[in-house]
Amino acid sequence: MPKRGAPPLDGELLQGTLDMLILQTLILGPAHGHTIAYAIERRSEEVLQVEHGSLYPALHRLEARGWIASFWGTSENNRKARYYRLTKVGRSRLSAQTSRWEQLVRAINRVLRPVTD
Amino acid sequence: MEWSRFFRRHRVDEELSREIDAHIEIETEQNIARGMSPEEARYAARRKLGSTRRIREDVYSMNTVGFLETLLQDLKYGLRVLRRSPGFTAVTVLTLALGIGANTAIFSIVDAVFLRPLPFPHSDRIFVVDRVGNRFGGHSLSMPMFLAWRRDSQMFEHFALVSWQGPESLSGDSGEPERIRSIGVSTEFFPALGVQPAIGLGFQPDQGRVGGPRVALLSDGLWRTRFGAAPSVIGRTVRMDDESYTIIGVMPRDLELPLPGMRNAQVFVPIRIPDDSQDPSNGGLLCVGLLKPGVAPEQAASALTPALSELRTRFPNMFTPEEKAHLELLRTFIGDWAGPAPLLLFGAVGLVLLIACANVANLSLARSTSRQREIAVRAAMGAGRRRIVRQLLTESTLLAILGGLVGLAVCYASFGAIIGLVPTSIPHVGAYQIDLRVLAFALLLSLVTGLLFGLAPAVGASRVGLSASLQESNTRSGGGRGRLRRGLAVAEVSISAVLLIGAALALESFSSVMHVPPGFDVNNLSSVDFSLSPKQYDTPEKRAAFIGDAITRLEALPGVESVAMTSSLPLRGGPDTLFSIVGRPEPTNLNEAPDALFRVVSPEYFHTLRIPVERGRMFADSDNASSQAVMIINRAMAQWLWPEGDALGQHIWVGKPMGPAYTEPSAREIVGIVADAREMTLAEPPFPTMYLPASQSPGTNGGSFLVRAGAVSAASIRSVLTQFDAQHPVGQVQTMDQTLMASVTDWRFRAILLTLFGALALFIATIGVYGVISYWVAQRTHEIGIRMALGATRRDVLGLVIGQGVLLALIGVVVGVVAAAELTRFMADMLYGVKPTDPLTFAGMSLLLIIVALLACYVPARRAMRVDPMVALRYE
Repeated sequence: MPKRGAPPLDGELLQGTLDMLILQTLILGPAHGHTIAYAIERRSEEVLQVEHGSLYPALHRLEARGWIASFWGTSENNRKARYYRLTKVGRSRLSAQTSRWEQLVRAINRVLRPVTD
Repeated sequence: MEWSRFFRRHRVDEELSREIDAHIEIETEQNIARGMSPEEARYAARRKLGSTRRIREDVYSMNTVGFLETLLQDLKYGLRVLRRSPGFTAVTVLTLALGIGANTAIFSIVDAVFLRPLPFPHSDRIFVVDRVGNRFGGHSLSMPMFLAWRRDSQMFEHFALVSWQGPESLSGDSGEPERIRSIGVSTEFFPALGVQPAIGLGFQPDQGRVGGPRVALLSDGLWRTRFGAAPSVIGRTVRMDDESYTIIGVMPRDLELPLPGMRNAQVFVPIRIPDDSQDPSNGGLLCVGLLKPGVAPEQAASALTPALSELRTRFPNMFTPEEKAHLELLRTFIGDWAGPAPLLLFGAVGLVLLIACANVANLSLARSTSRQREIAVRAAMGAGRRRIVRQLLTESTLLAILGGLVGLAVCYASFGAIIGLVPTSIPHVGAYQIDLRVLAFALLLSLVTGLLFGLAPAVGASRVGLSASLQESNTRSGGGRGRLRRGLAVAEVSISAVLLIGAALALESFSSVMHVPPGFDVNNLSSVDFSLSPKQYDTPEKRAAFIGDAITRLEALPGVESVAMTSSLPLRGGPDTLFSIVGRPEPTNLNEAPDALFRVVSPEYFHTLRIPVERGRMFADSDNASSQAVMIINRAMAQWLWPEGDALGQHIWVGKPMGPAYTEPSAREIVGIVADAREMTLAEPPFPTMYLPASQSPGTNGGSFLVRAGAVSAASIRSVLTQFDAQHPVGQVQTMDQTLMASVTDWRFRAILLTLFGALALFIATIGVYGVISYWVAQRTHEIGIRMALGATRRDVLGLVIGQGVLLALIGVVVGVVAAAELTRFMADMLYGVKPTDPLTFAGMSLLLIIVALLACYVPARRAMRVDPMVALRYE
């Protein structure tokens, strides 16, 4: 439900990007799946729409790699919910991925740079 | 991680559905807060999440097939990539197949000779007991030694003796008389090995005593071929060497004694061990013991050493003060006996594989350069570096395994030929075969090979800078990679140089050995072995009569020029003995007494073999039992003992240093000096040799007849000898050429295999150089085009390309020659007539390599010359 700014991107996010965004969200503290999805959407000013269906496999994959860990807790509304938190490995992976991403962005920007440059 | 989740996947699924339920609840609540009705809110929440079933399936499959699925994906992709470049795949698989196939074949030899465990229980406790510190060297055991050691053998569970000597003929049943291979064993021998007969009983203690019943165990092979595998054979009586033996059992089918010369034993008889022995001769005996558990071999050896000093007081001439008992694991003993040749070949064939790996790494590098963009795109799409390396390694492993499979086919196809070259004198455990161990080796080798040639290109490719590659518009990149590729080509050339030089040295040695004049005329000369039964020929007169009679009858055969008898054939070695020189001081220490080979021959020996008499005379009929004892010596012996003076007329007393039991009744006068003949093997320099006339050597009860004839059938020679005793089997007639070839099998073995590997190395390295230069040309099409556009002639281009190739070859050859100069030292013992650093060989092989490298460059060079400047420039 985009409200303002650019329209949401079509199709899926680049593989690996969602992982990075999840990790980035968790840096602020533990959260459950629902919160993570909305946090990403809010922070991207609704440009990035997290497909909820692919969120859970991604969380699961990250947990399998040991980048995040999970525990059962109680939500704001007193519900049982599964919370995720960033592990030490996850933290270092996040910074590695972020710098890789920046490299990639710079590279693509250079390619796309106006010819007159 | 993945695997542990695999086993928890049902619980994970359950948790996941709870988690999803919670998600829907939260979303529903928020939707209600936004003003939707509860129904609407729940529906919207569900729609937003999508199919929960799908999510659960995704996660479930992640936990089940994750790893395997990736592998399958990689394999599929890898296969597709390989199928898309059939040329690359074919060259790679062929190169690897040759390397892996040859390695596998040679490994089967190395395994049987050095590695395969003995097929006996407790084989880690079975030792060969020997003495060291005596000039007789190892494996010189006498009966008194065995008796003394057995008395002191409290640290052994079983202490046994085995002898190469046993009955040689078998008759007395329904079959034809037959020559057999038999060995003698003490009754403790099979218990020491832990082997029992498959049928019947093992030897009983009373059968191993002097005067005990004569019994025999059959090998499974003889039992099947001669006795039709009849169980009723137990208790049957046969005649062996004029004695009756009762068969008491048949040994298991798979029993193969790995001891040298005992592998094919067909009959086992007990050695009849006396209570005491005064016979200190070193007669083909070997001592084998099973140590008690927990006893160190050094401990057992020091317990056996005192017996040697005790024996020295009894036989002062046969033992030295330095002697010690020594234990060696039977397994190690077998490998030591075999010598270093199998390891040399294994090293050589390992180098061939290394070249193959370098070559394939090179090809892969070339390809990964052209695949750089594909890889960069994959990386940009989010494939991690590990994932890319894994994909590339999967591809190289796939190639290696394909290579391994074809290699096994190569190995199977060439196996018979390679094994046929292995000298039968090399002892080994079990047959040479491609068994599970060898297959496992081939598989392991393929995997290691895949890693070895795959790792460098894979890591290199994955390190490709993203931005750099995405911008790259052509394949002219990777200067560093080019250096690596040229380095690999140089390595290939240098390893080939090492192998070629080694092969050439082995080939030259073989050729030198084959050109050694044997010192006698090999052509038109045949031999047949004979042995006389001690019962029938019990006096010197009867034995002399047989020999004289047989020679007369053989000479009467049509076409026969002359016939002689000798106790040992030339080129086959034979016994040696110690002696004293009359008029010179007796040596105080046994280790200083002179020794020489000795042969008992009939007077016609030198004439028949065409060995010229250089001084003095041949034997004559007048040399008989009642005349002065005489001998003829060879030139080597005369020059050794009388370098200045005259050997003729000197007297030699045979056996004197060894004590009265071995001393001949009188000294012999040297009446003749003959030219040197190769008595040991072709390669061994003439050894001092004494020839004694048969008429003055009454003990002769076996040996060979030598027949010089233009054309005479083996059957007619044999029929003459069978006339004497129909029950006594006669040996096979062998031409002297066959004897000569048999004496050089190990030279031939090394020369042929090393040459084969050298050729293989040259072939693979040629492909390598060709590949690098072709690639170099392809990369520089543009540059060459510019050069030609600027006026370079075709000759200039040719020079440019060839120069590149020659540079590679030259560096490779220089490195190879330096390495070879270091490595060929280890071959020194296996060379003949050529030094390990023979300059001509080194120069010749270097030249060969450079010429072949030139040829390999020629095809790409021609391609470079035909570059059309216009096309090349437009190509960009």
